[in-house]
Order: sequence, then structure tokens, then C-alpha cells
Amino acid sequence: MPLVNFSNLDFYGIRESIKDYLRANSNFTDYDFEGSNLSTIVDALAYNTYITSYNANMVTNEVFIDSATLRENVVSLARNIGYVPRSRKASTSNISFTVDVSNTTAVTVTLKAGAVVTSRSTGVNKTQNFIFSIPNDITVPVDSFGRANFNEIKVYEGTYITQTFTVDTENPNQKFILPNSGIDTDLLSVIVKNTKESTVERKFDLFDSLFKVTASTRSYFIQEIGQERYELLFGDGVFGVKLENKNYIEASYITTSGAVANNITNFTFIGNMVGNNGNAISQGVSIVTAEMKSKGGKPIESVESVKKYAPQIYASQNRAVTAADYEGLIPQIYPEAESVSAFGGEDLTPPQFGKVFISIKPYNGVYLSSAIKRNLQFQIKNYSVAGIRPEIIDLKYLYVEANCDVYYNTNLAPSPSYVNNIVTQNIASYSDSSALNQFGARFKYSQFQQIIDQSNESITSNITNIDMRRDMVAKLNQFAEYELCYGNRFYVKNHGHSAVFSGNLVGYNIRSSGFTVSGISGTVYLGDKPNMDLEKGKLFLFKLNSPSEPIIVKQNIGTINYITGEIRLNPINIISTTINRDSPLVEISAQPYSNDVIGLQDLYLQLDVNNTTVNVIVDNIASGNDISGTNYIVSSSYGSNRLVRGIPITTVDAGVISETSSIASSVRQSTPLGRAIVSTTNSARSSY
Amino acid sequence: MPVQRVSKGFLDVSASFKVNPINSDVIVTRNENAIARAIRNLVFTLPGEKPFQPLVGSNVSNLLFENLDRITASSIQSEIEDTLNNFEPRISLTTVEVVPNFDSNEFNCTITYDIIGIDVLPQQLSFALQPTR
Repeated sequence: MPLVNFSNLDFYGIRESIKDYLRANSNFTDYDFEGSNLSTIVDALAYNTYITSYNANMVTNEVFIDSATLRENVVSLARNIGYVPRSRKASTSNISFTVDVSNTTAVTVTLKAGAVVTSRSTGVNKTQNFIFSIPNDITVPVDSFGRANFNEIKVYEGTYITQTFTVDTENPNQKFILPNSGIDTDLLSVIVKNTKESTVERKFDLFDSLFKVTASTRSYFIQEIGQERYELLFGDGVFGVKLENKNYIEASYITTSGAVANNITNFTFIGNMVGNNGNAISQGVSIVTAEMKSKGGKPIESVESVKKYAPQIYASQNRAVTAADYEGLIPQIYPEAESVSAFGGEDLTPPQFGKVFISIKPYNGVYLSSAIKRNLQFQIKNYSVAGIRPEIIDLKYLYVEANCDVYYNTNLAPSPSYVNNIVTQNIASYSDSSALNQFGARFKYSQFQQIIDQSNESITSNITNIDMRRDMVAKLNQFAEYELCYGNRFYVKNHGHSAVFSGNLVGYNIRSSGFTVSGISGTVYLGDKPNMDLEKGKLFLFKLNSPSEPIIVKQNIGTINYITGEIRLNPINIISTTINRDSPLVEISAQPYSNDVIGLQDLYLQLDVNNTTVNVIVDNIASGNDISGTNYIVSSSYGSNRLVRGIPITTVDAGVISETSSIASSVRQSTPLGRAIVSTTNSARSSY
Repeated sequence: MPVQRVSKGFLDVSASFKVNPINSDVIVTRNENAIARAIRNLVFTLPGEKPFQPLVGSNVSNLLFENLDRITASSIQSEIEDTLNNFEPRISLTTVEVVPNFDSNEFNCTITYDIIGIDVLPQQLSFALQPTR
């Protein structure tokens, strides 16, 4: 019998194959007994084959960027297509302090490059010390009071290091390797002198491509090598200046801890200062104040990210042609980008040809500042095709809110709060995962339910209702049109009847938080009434006589499209809102037609944990309290019937229209607001 | 036609790997000799030495470095008994005798067993156990 089964990758399979072979082709019999010599030989052969198979498998995997797992190999493969992974980024902070030098003759004070302040981490243990440094000397004048004011100097977390090399052209294998890991390459500074003793310094600049590099360009390149270290590469006389024998290289950089040094505010001065007379200054330093918490620290680009972006960057060839090109290039240009979405203007309704719209979610914060947007737009122009105008637009968040009724077996959990805590923690973990926090993400309802069910063995089932919400930033005290796109179809549960139907509170298809508008006293809310086709409808404003008794105060204030998931408000003058988070907001939520909610185009999907509720309910059947199910507590699978978001504010005054009033009277009532629009010549228009 | 199976007895390759001058093949050990060799192998194999089979073997080699007394001898005896009962199905163990020899710093071990499957007399295997590194 030939040895046919040679594809086994596990030891036992290989050993059985060898035994089968011996069984059929040999007079030996003792291979089955563990103590025999033959068994030892079989074991040795099988072990050898197993190791060889494992090595072959690993080697083959590591040859391709898709299947490689070791960082060194992934980076090496990415290097072949011209991709340098993003380095670790130092956390930064702006600090200020004053130095009293009135007892000296110094007229300027220089803060030397290197360590400036130190601080403890803000983590749970607060055991780690961080040093914040500056990469260059900073000199300030001494004022008339004998004080040198260092205001808002930018410090970088990490240790400032200078590495030197002497070029030896007789050594063909000389490499300029920076021996420390954790370098922030943005802070790398390379200076070359003709010899070690020379006083003339030439500054070299970092380049990432050969564009604009000539024979006289003082350029250097970097490449990541093993253990997250970097190697400096200099020109060859054709592309970039070629270094000569005895040239002296000084590479200064900061090795940083990355993200763990974020959110630090308390600093202690440890820097070195000298006066213009050369004397060291070590006294008279005031308390160091920080303008903000340290931020911007990030780990080195992950292997997964390198695998994703290296082929994209290679495919884009430093040209932004397709939307995917922009998505690949922007993280290179702007490393603060956590997620990027780009789409052509032709996809919009109405189309805007000749434009590419880009939304960027930064790591820190929610929106990009105008200055960063302008700067980015300028840089993207270097890559974009002529005639195409890239536009960076603000992020639009689409929030998913879940209302979970979780049934549990009382015999398997100590208390309902125990179950509640575990479920809430798991939901919070899911909300932080990359499954959601990105453009083009999808909230997967079945997965979400599974996460809840598997949170604890006591959980028997869950009924979860999903709402999607967008926040409308109100432009106060001015007439403005508003448009909110949800990118998901709305579920129409109210077909146009009143909110209270046959004595039961049904609610409307949308719910809003409260706000006040000019011309109407008290807090009003948004409601909707579908047309006969149930595809579109009209919006109205209502007040609450009681939490379950709406009174319509204004009809036809806008339209709603249930199919495309769009809400448009006619010009309306909002005076105040009940919710204010940095800016006045009106929260508007609706139940999605499909429980799987997608982040369409520029919508950034987030699971709003703060507005997600978890109700723990005893499963009387599984617990054995009520096997017949007579007293089983039933939860609705069709969402809440509440009329408004948040705590209902009841305000009723005379002259309001009952919800059951005739349409004629409603139209009449809507006129004043309409007139106001006509009289407004420059009403703002907000699209969200 | 049914497959006709003929018992070939127990046939193992010799650990000396010397060449048989008659047939120029590797020297083989048969039946009781093969089993005796297997018993010695099992007793001197430490658990974990055989790849992916962490339970095979006995802890006798480590016990040899314990105090030379009857307690250790008893431990060695039960260790040998367990090992042979678990991993040598060709024998039916009769006795295991371990006697400390204080003069020469060794344990004298005698194993008596019957071989299952072939018609031979009860076997006795004796060897001395000495702590060597």
C-alpha cells in the first residue's frame, strides 16, 4: 500500500499514516505498542513530518500579505509596494509656565531640547510616569519684571534621543538603523555634517516618494524593520544627495509610549534652561499649567491596518481617482483619521457632478476644525484628478438606540442588577467595536441579540426594539430649513389615525425632543401623518396636554419620506431646545423598517449606549415559578408607544387645535408660520 | 474470499541498529525479547518525552534521586506497576519487586509477568536501577 495520505497536518494523523504504511508493507508488528523501539522511530518520523509541515505552512502564509501574521513580514511585504506603516504617535499637550530670573543678568532664557515636564498616568493604578519633551530649543525674552514666559509650548510625550552615525563608504553594507522602538517619525529630524567636527549643518527632509526628488535634494527615506524600529535611507546621487565618506549624521527623535499617555493634565517641570550668558537656570520656575489634556497619542499602525491600506495605496498609485482612492490616501495624509468615507457627488440627490465628498471621523473629537479641513483639502488637491473638486464635509451621526427586555432564569443569577450589569457591559463593548464605528457599518440585529443572549447563562431570551436617531442642530432665532437623512426606511406603524386610537395610545411614527418656536408658547414636538400611499407624509407640531394626550398646534410644517428615510422641515424659527450638548439639539428618532440599520454614504453609525435601556424581566417559565405560563410577562416586539423623547413637558394654553380638529382649521392655523417664511429673504438652510 | 490473518508474533527493530550479517537487514527482536525491551523503555521514559503523548512513561528516573529507602522503593514499584498496566497491553503483570541495595546505592528491580497472545513461560525481568545523570 503506498503512503497516500500525506496532507495530514496534525501529529496523530501523520503517525497513523505511518502506522498504516507499516501495517501493509512490513513484517514489523510492534508499532502499536508505546514501549517498543519501533514506536519511538514512528514518533520521531511523525514529529519530524509535523514540524516540517508546520514550517511549510507558516512559510507559505508569510509569503503573502493577505495571510502573513508576523509584523516583520507584513511590513516587509508592504515595503515591496512602497508602503511605510504609520509610526507610533506621541501624545501632545500645550503647557505654560514662567521663570523668574530677576536675580540674574539674563535677557533671554532658552529651554533646551529634551525632557521638559513629567507626569503620572491617569489610569486606574497611576503607576506609570511619562516624560514630555520638546524636539528643539525654545528661547524667550525676559520681560521688564524679570520673568521669562513660556506660553503654550507644545510638548511631546516621550524621551528625546539623538543618534549619530559616521558614513563609511568602504563598508558596502553600512546601515543607519535607529536602535529604539516606539519612534514618532513625524518628530524625526536628520542633520548631516561634513565631518564630526564640522560646524556647517545640512538639514535633510523626509520623503515618501521619488516625486520632486532630484540629485541635489537633501532627502532621506525611512523603512520599518524588525521590532518596530526604523532604518534611514539616503540618496544615491541621482535621487537625493549622496553621502560622502566621514559625513556625520545626527538623527534626533522622540520615543513615545503612544496612546497610554493621553488625558494627562498635571505636570511637573524637569527641563533644562540656560540664560543667554550661558549660565544654567534651575530656580524660579512657576507651576506648570496645561491648556488641555494631553491627546493625540496613538499606537503604531496595526498589522490589520497595514494589510488593508498597503494594497489600497498601491492601487491608487498616489492618484485619487475612485472614491476608494480617497479612503486609502487620507489616512496617509492625515493620520488622525479614524475612519474615512468618500463618495462621488453624482450619487447624491440631486447630483452634484464634479465633486467628491469626503467625511472624516478623527480619533479625538467628533468633527474636524475648519483649519484642518482647509489644509486637508489643499493637500488632497495634489492627488486628485484635474476638474474634480474634493470637499470635506462634516460628519453625520446616525445613532442606533436599543430597548432590550431581557428574560432571565432566577435560579442561575444572583440578582436582576447582576444580569443588567453584564448585559450593559457587553452592549458597551459592542458599541466600541469596529463593527459599528465606521462608515459603511451595519448594525446587525441578530448579532446584537446574540450578544445579549450569550452575556450570561441565566439569560433565556430577549425582546429588543431598535430606534434610529439623528440630532438636528437648531439655528436659534432665525428661520431655517432643515433636512435630515437617515439612509434607512422608516417603519410606518401609525397609518394616519390619531395618536390615541380606540382608547389605546399608539403614538406617531417619529418622536422628537422638545423645542420652542416663535409664535407658539410652550414646548412643542414633531409628529407625522402619512399619506394614503404610506410612502410620504406631512409633519406637524404638537403640544402635550398630558404625556398621552397630544394637541396639534401647527399643521404642514414639513414633509417626511418613509421610503428614503428623509425628514424636511419648512423654514421654521426655533427659539430654544430642551437638549443642549455644546449646541442646541432636537433629537428625532424613528423605528427602522429593517432592524439591520446601515450607515449609508457619509452617515457614521454609532450605538448610543446612553439611550439604550436594558430591562431585566424574570422568565417565570424557565425559573419554574409558573410552568404553565399563566403569569408570563409579555414584552412588545413593536416598539414604544411614547409620543415624545425624554421627559414629556405638558404645556397647554387656549386656542390650540385639537388633534381631531378639521383640516380646514389646521391649514388656517399654519398660515402665520408660512407668512413668516415669505417675509424672510435670507433664511438659512441646514442639511444634516 | 475472506482475508486470512496469520499471527506474526511480536516483532520489533533492535535499538542497536546493527546489521544482521546473514540477511544484511537490521537486527530484529522477537516476542519475549521485544517485550522485555519495551518494558525497559517504558520504565525509563519520563512522562512528556514522547511527543504529544504526555502520559506515556514513568517517573522512575526521578524517583532514583530520592532517598534510598523502602519508601522510595515502594513508590518505584507502584510507578512501574501503573506504567506497565497502562501502556503495555501484551503482558499480564504478576509481581513487581523493588529492593533497595544500600551497599551499591541502587534498587534491584524484578518484574514477573505473563505474555498474552503467545505460548511462552512466565517471564522474569531483572535490572538494577541506579541514579545516573
